[in-house]
Amino acid sequence: MATAPGLVTPEAYVDTLAREQSSLWGDAWRRLRRNRLALASTVFLTFVILVAIVAQFWLPYSYFAEGIAPIYQGPTAQHLLGVDDLGRDILSRIMLGSQVSLKVGIGTQVIVIAVGVVVGLIAGFYRGVVDTIISTIINIFYGIPDLLVALVLVLLLGRSLGIIIFAIAFTQWMTMARLVRGQTLALREREFVEAARAGGAKANKIIFRHILPNALGPMIVQATIGVPMAILFEAFLSFLGLGVPPPTPSWGAMAADGFHALRISPHIVLAPAIALSLTLMAFNFLGDGLRDALDPRQKR
Amino acid sequence: MFTRGSLLYIGQRLILILFTAVAVSSIVFLGIHRLPGNALLNERHPDPAAQAELLHYYHLDLPLAQQYFLFVGGVFHGDLGESLVNRSVQITPLLLREARVSAEVGGAAIVFTIGIGIVLGVIAAVRQNTWVDYVATTTSVIGYSMPNFVVASLLFLFFGIYFYKWTGGTIYYNSGWTGSWGTLDQIVVPGFALGFPYASIVARLTRASMLEVIRQDYVRTARAKGLTDRIVIIRHALRNALIPVVTILGPLVIGIVTGSVVIENIFGIPGLGKEFATSILQRDYNIVIGLFTFYAIIIAAANLLVDLLYTVIDPRIRY
Amino acid sequence: MSDLFVGKLRALRPLAVIGAIGVVVAACGNGTSTTPSASLAADQTLRFPSDSDIGTLDPAQINAETDVELYQNLFDGLLKFDDTLKVIPDIATALPTISADGMTYTFKLNANAKFWNGHAVKASDFIYSFSRSAAEGGNAYGSNFDHVVGYDVVSKTKDWAHNQTMLSGMSAPDDHTLQIKLISPWYVFSTELALASAAQVIDPTVVNTDDANWWSKPATAVGTGPYKMVSYIPKQSAAFDAVPNWWGSPQPTVQHVKIDFIADMSQGVVKYEQGGYDLIGYGGMGSDTPTADIIRIQADPTLSKQLKFVNKVRTIWVQYAFGPPPSGSGRAQSVFAGDLESGPAHDLRLAFSLAIDRTQMVNVACANGITCSAATGGLITKGLRGYVGDNSDPLAKFDLTQAKALLKSGDPTGSKTKNLTYYYDPNKAIYKATAENVASQWQTNLGIHVNLQPIDHAAFIKNYTAHNYVLFREGWQADYDHPQDWFDNLFIKGGGSNGGDYTDPKVEALVKKADAEPLDAAIADYNAASKQMMTDAAYAPLAYFKGEFMFKPYLIHAGSNNFNDFYWNEMQIGSH
Repeated sequence: MATAPGLVTPEAYVDTLAREQSSLWGDAWRRLRRNRLALASTVFLTFVILVAIVAQFWLPYSYFAEGIAPIYQGPTAQHLLGVDDLGRDILSRIMLGSQVSLKVGIGTQVIVIAVGVVVGLIAGFYRGVVDTIISTIINIFYGIPDLLVALVLVLLLGRSLGIIIFAIAFTQWMTMARLVRGQTLALREREFVEAARAGGAKANKIIFRHILPNALGPMIVQATIGVPMAILFEAFLSFLGLGVPPPTPSWGAMAADGFHALRISPHIVLAPAIALSLTLMAFNFLGDGLRDALDPRQKR
Repeated sequence: MFTRGSLLYIGQRLILILFTAVAVSSIVFLGIHRLPGNALLNERHPDPAAQAELLHYYHLDLPLAQQYFLFVGGVFHGDLGESLVNRSVQITPLLLREARVSAEVGGAAIVFTIGIGIVLGVIAAVRQNTWVDYVATTTSVIGYSMPNFVVASLLFLFFGIYFYKWTGGTIYYNSGWTGSWGTLDQIVVPGFALGFPYASIVARLTRASMLEVIRQDYVRTARAKGLTDRIVIIRHALRNALIPVVTILGPLVIGIVTGSVVIENIFGIPGLGKEFATSILQRDYNIVIGLFTFYAIIIAAANLLVDLLYTVIDPRIRY
Repeated sequence: MSDLFVGKLRALRPLAVIGAIGVVVAACGNGTSTTPSASLAADQTLRFPSDSDIGTLDPAQINAETDVELYQNLFDGLLKFDDTLKVIPDIATALPTISADGMTYTFKLNANAKFWNGHAVKASDFIYSFSRSAAEGGNAYGSNFDHVVGYDVVSKTKDWAHNQTMLSGMSAPDDHTLQIKLISPWYVFSTELALASAAQVIDPTVVNTDDANWWSKPATAVGTGPYKMVSYIPKQSAAFDAVPNWWGSPQPTVQHVKIDFIADMSQGVVKYEQGGYDLIGYGGMGSDTPTADIIRIQADPTLSKQLKFVNKVRTIWVQYAFGPPPSGSGRAQSVFAGDLESGPAHDLRLAFSLAIDRTQMVNVACANGITCSAATGGLITKGLRGYVGDNSDPLAKFDLTQAKALLKSGDPTGSKTKNLTYYYDPNKAIYKATAENVASQWQTNLGIHVNLQPIDHAAFIKNYTAHNYVLFREGWQADYDHPQDWFDNLFIKGGGSNGGDYTDPKVEALVKKADAEPLDAAIADYNAASKQMMTDAAYAPLAYFKGEFMFKPYLIHAGSNNFNDFYWNEMQIGSH
């Protein structure tokens, strides 16, 4: 393509933008590091992920072997977190249960990002009737009790990890879609996108090289906030007896199993409840930290 | 306060409420009729002829379109049909009764949510970047990170077991509904468990919007005029800071509705949430469909209320 | 029956069951049974909780245990059971006169019997009631009349409310004489008539006003029993009052019975401890108290004395599919099918059963034996006629060496036992606990990973009675103390609850022979059939159920036998 000297080509502009972006990420990282809560959360979540990986290969005891200690027994030297109502080692089950939580949390967000990006981009990029229809659908979804719909879906389709992830994503995609739509609407008016378009760039190129990279920050924040939401949904489903089939341990189901025993063995509820709460908290602190880091204007 | 425009708007919203309720229950109706099995099954005598008769009794032998037509007709007459599990139990009066129970617990939850949330938020904003702010902010993250059943378990542990002598264990409904407000002492704990996570969200919103308002000119002016901080905050800042908080009321109602499914089960409260969990596990589809319809109406009505609240709180908004 | 919501119920009053007598005595012993009328409480109100609402109280529809426990106090039949399990007259003045060919039963009715609305009970009311049950009760116990002449016509009646066809085999020579003709001799008939289910009398003039819902409203829920419904708030509460000047005996002492329908029995136990309830376990709640609460109560010196265990006539076991997959079901061929007495499939079935350590199962899934005990004496529950004997079931042994050897011969390559799924309904805690336990044991002991698939009760029933499962939880609760109940429904080709589609010509022949014999002669043949099923390794036995009850010490003659709660009108509330 012949270009008049002195004019900034779209490519050159993008290079500048890339440099700007890299410095943006660098700044964000610096800001994030200064946030002690977010940092502690990152460390904790790394630990949870490590536990999930270790649990795949090694557990102190079998997670399904029953009666290895008297049922309802509290913490002992052999069983640090005690055993549950069927005499299973709670520590081993908590360790393996981290896998379910992480799979649900991350799996859901992968679907949510995929759906949200596609739907949001279409709405934001094409505007007009398409946008109106999509926005209406999003609004209708906002009006329904999400958890209850997820519950019905699991009942409808059966209890398995994949279906639970799908059901949760089904009720969670709207926020991401709305966010991408908003970003797209805003960005497509920005000068560098205008410039790219004027330079003859194709729609998909504009989307993938200009709009998406710029929307990435808010999307990451949204996804990070979405993870604990999804984990919470799964715990809710499990608590009501519609989680992953046993004996696979899930923190929500473990808490539910122990609820009747609160009077004699509160540890059966407390152990998974604490694991769950800490993990959710860590994701939320991290999400907050990321938001602050990526959007300094919202900083306190 | 209500101009012709706003009345027109309310009218439109009312129609929308009806539409949403019908849309939601239609989707659930059609979805649920694809589910295998229903509560009419019997392990002992799976007699085809008797099954057919039962299906006929519940109009389940009709083509789906016709069933749907009957159902929608019923909805418009306020008739949600009959329970599949408990023969002769009419769903509409059942849900209305249970809704009253849920409303009391949910109402308590909303009071907690807004009360705790606003107080925490205001304190955090006024004492911005002090330890008070940090504690309040951290508490709110902890609040919405704790699943409501965890909050409920902890409360149960303390009030129902450790402090048993003090509470007498009457912190939850351990029997049938004993009447309006007579059970106030039983509402507090479940209400708190139900509202606490949302209180945290309200606190965050309040804090953020307070900070924004405090920096604005009219607040500075008010301060410059020599009004005390307290008066400025209450009379000027808070009122405006609450506008964004109102937006969360819609999602809050949804949250209370879904949260009640867990909380009512834990505390044995005979409300809609308990009914939902029970009937979905028993596959009493008529009740499940009825509940969704009911919920759709409640949520739509809550959204309408939010819109109206806007006009009250912020006189600039006119429909 | 096999279940919590539905299924056939048990409705005899069999104290022939030794264990129950002990319990009865114990229950009475707690009260003031020796001087019953000496110190009665002024307020004769009995209060107890139930975690399931009334399903129906209509004789044509009733089939849930929880419903029957209330129903038996509101309605009467021709016959009932006494505490020794003997069939005794109820509204009939005496046992029926049976013709020499065993096919005609004649009853004389008590002329004093009347409904609480004042209507006298006539023989024609029984014809109406039985015909209605036969016509509308296909889903429940209506088939108890299938040996009555005319059943084939009446049972096919559609819309009975507008098209009332009576059983042609029933006739009323006068108002107080009833004659029933059977198509063939049927030794279980008197027992079936005594069962609190389809054979209770209702008032045609009332029922005809609202055939579907008459029983749910206090004004029209008209029966002949010592109690009547005075209020019913669905999913909240029900209240019953004694009928003044009731025609029968004993006259009720307890004047009011109040039942709360609550969320779960754990909360009921707490309220019991606070004095809000007089007992726990009535209304079919005997196995619904969470084990954690029972363990807690056992540790309490005062409360533990109020806790009673009653063996219940219910067994659960693991069932294998013997038949081919139903067309269109998508089910796999059963690796357990065929080879009845020997061969690879037989070895596989036996291996799965011998690999279960039932002592461990009882310690874990039955919470140290609180909620159930190991089923070591055949499927027919201990205490019932037809029980084969303690430790008589070779399938209940735990023999890991043999199990592993059998697994090797049954599945040398390990391909058959890959991807097996065990289906169960987690609605009762024991089902969930035993399912997780057997899967855990198969994995630990045999190295076989069996997927667990919890299915909601209703869908579970639909699927297993349709033969859609290869490996699943099966269970049965005796309807009456007769072995016939355990075979015709469960292990005979075409039996309504034969979810495994099991069939063995030897078993069929023995059962057919036994069904046509008087009970005493039949027992040996039923036992032989049980033993043949053991030879076939037709099932993997798991557990017999127990019921847990709590009675305040001031209750007089409160208790339960293996089948039912004691009648309310037998009970008194002592001063306290």
